[in-house]
Amino acid sequence: MVDETILREKAREVLARDDVRRLIGWKRGTYGYESAPAVLKDASQADELIFDPTCVQNPASFITLEEKLPVPRGQDPDTRKVAVLVKGCDSRAVVQQLVEKAYTRDGVIVLGVPCTGVVDRRKAQKMFGDTSEPVMIKEEGDKFVFIIDGETREGPRAELLADKCVRCRFPNPLVYDELVADEVAVWGADEFADVDEFEKMSPPEKWKFWEEQFSKCIRCYSCRNVCPMCYCLECVVTKQKPQWTRRSTDVSENTAYHIQRAWHLSGRCIECGECERVCPVDIPITTLNRKMTRDVKELFSYEPGVDVEAEPLLSCYNPQDPEEYIM
Amino acid sequence: MGDFKFAKDKLAEVVGALKDYEVFAPAAVGDVLRFKEVEDASSVSFDFKNTNVPPKELMFPETETLFKFRVGKTDIEPAVPDESKKRLVFGIRPCDAMAYTIVEKLYSWDYPDPYFEKRRESSVLFGLACSEPVPNCFCTSLGGGPGSEQGLDALMFDLGETVYVKTITDAGDTVAKAMGLEAAADAEKKAAAAQEKDALGKIKRSIDTEGIPEKLPSLYDHPFWEQFSDRCLSCGICTFLCPTCHCFDIQDEMEAFDGRRARMWDTCMFPEYTLHTSGHNPRPTRKERTRNRISHKYSYFPEKFDVIACVGCGRCINYCPVNIDILDILEKSKQAEAKEAKTA
Repeated sequence: MVDETILREKAREVLARDDVRRLIGWKRGTYGYESAPAVLKDASQADELIFDPTCVQNPASFITLEEKLPVPRGQDPDTRKVAVLVKGCDSRAVVQQLVEKAYTRDGVIVLGVPCTGVVDRRKAQKMFGDTSEPVMIKEEGDKFVFIIDGETREGPRAELLADKCVRCRFPNPLVYDELVADEVAVWGADEFADVDEFEKMSPPEKWKFWEEQFSKCIRCYSCRNVCPMCYCLECVVTKQKPQWTRRSTDVSENTAYHIQRAWHLSGRCIECGECERVCPVDIPITTLNRKMTRDVKELFSYEPGVDVEAEPLLSCYNPQDPEEYIM
Repeated sequence: MGDFKFAKDKLAEVVGALKDYEVFAPAAVGDVLRFKEVEDASSVSFDFKNTNVPPKELMFPETETLFKFRVGKTDIEPAVPDESKKRLVFGIRPCDAMAYTIVEKLYSWDYPDPYFEKRRESSVLFGLACSEPVPNCFCTSLGGGPGSEQGLDALMFDLGETVYVKTITDAGDTVAKAMGLEAAADAEKKAAAAQEKDALGKIKRSIDTEGIPEKLPSLYDHPFWEQFSDRCLSCGICTFLCPTCHCFDIQDEMEAFDGRRARMWDTCMFPEYTLHTSGHNPRPTRKERTRNRISHKYSYFPEKFDVIACVGCGRCINYCPVNIDILDILEKSKQAEAKEAKTA
């Protein structure tokens, strides 16, 4: 259980340091079942921070979102650190970003938040309906207790957990400078049952399924932009010269976009589930990524975002790597 | 105009009776709703709140062909929409219909846009009054409401077993008669009025827009924007799903020797939107882009067209993955102290 007083105290200490520029965490949202990501710049703001089952977002996404503008002549670049609060799943993004040298380890301060699972907004909406006030959520044993418009409601934890939490194997951060609470016991296991289920479809059925899903896509790129691993300064789908993907939306271009993204994330996706959470038209994006994740695991015994010392999968070579697809 | 009604279990017959119209109504793919042409009248339902994608796409599609061309030829083949077929937009929410009245000010301004205008002119709008507004609806703050008639030709009230239809224009009246609707009695009118009053009470969120259009320009360089832009993903959700956002990009697309000039939704939230050929970007960070989105809606547009380019449908709030809440931004803008103008 995370004590918010301790979390805020630690955040305040970090924000007060001269070598820290900003701290990324969670604060109360303006309505409904989700918190808002918080980007704090001053120790006086530390009391805005929260941690509870509404804190679904991955703060690691925001480390790489910050624009790096050219430094005006005569000024020094701002080399102060960025501090970030991470749950176990979020920490895998930091690990993978470090593996890929997106930034250096001493450029970030990681405050680890052991987590016992967050609530899926869509599941909660179906169970309790919508509200225009922020909802408070507490975990009590195998239940989540909600305060919705002043009324206390309860729901089974197993039915309300985000999918990523149901199969969570890493509730404790894998990289941190300091933990804000004691580590928690691991409860989940991942047998890729969802991928098995998906693979039961025949190729024509799969094609029909994805055609319908991708036909909904409005190419808002929220899945790409929220992804902590999609931090390229120039993305292949928005490149204009040469243009690899058309800007027009149709099932063909939309499919090209999603397939490109799935390929570019193979061996890199850390399964925080943010892409699927943010999609305004409910495309089950993680299904594609999880298929790639399992293939990478089975073919190369590789799992991204778990070892800071690892080499990125696609930039290391092992003579024992399978090559059946060539023969 | 007239007052009509029909039994809700006759919905498919009523819609199916219109042989001369292309009918558009909300259709679901999974949990996602957007307006589609009705192929089977029995699929039409009133069981929805707001569509995920607004019906602006019926006038201004995500992607549309402007004209076609062929390499080596000098003539082009225009692709202006065919207006011979009348279109009926069935079940549009009052906020989304009001949005058309705002967007058409722009599309009929300096260069009238035939693509938007032809579709708009050939469309008859049958609205569906809201009985259950969603949590982030704030239409009443922008001059709309669950029973607002702006932009509509007729407004329907789902009264349970009966649907009351109030026609507002001649076009609406013509369609109601073509549907073979019977005349409504006072009981339906009263029930509709009661429903509207009840729905008004269910709208929880609001903003007093007084003074905002005048104040926003004074906050141009104010740091308060960063409270929101620091967590902005620069994605297109808020603008693509906005019923009044109307920006587009134009691209030429080629297949061997045949090509088309197409336009597609564009958004000021993408960095490419303002990227110059030189590589310079006048809106280099999310701060400038967030400021532009809000200022365009609540300051630049009203300055030019005397109306705020927002109808309070709440989609930008509902779908923002990082809880950037336009009502929160507007409230904070009212509290922010305008910095004194810099003097030389």
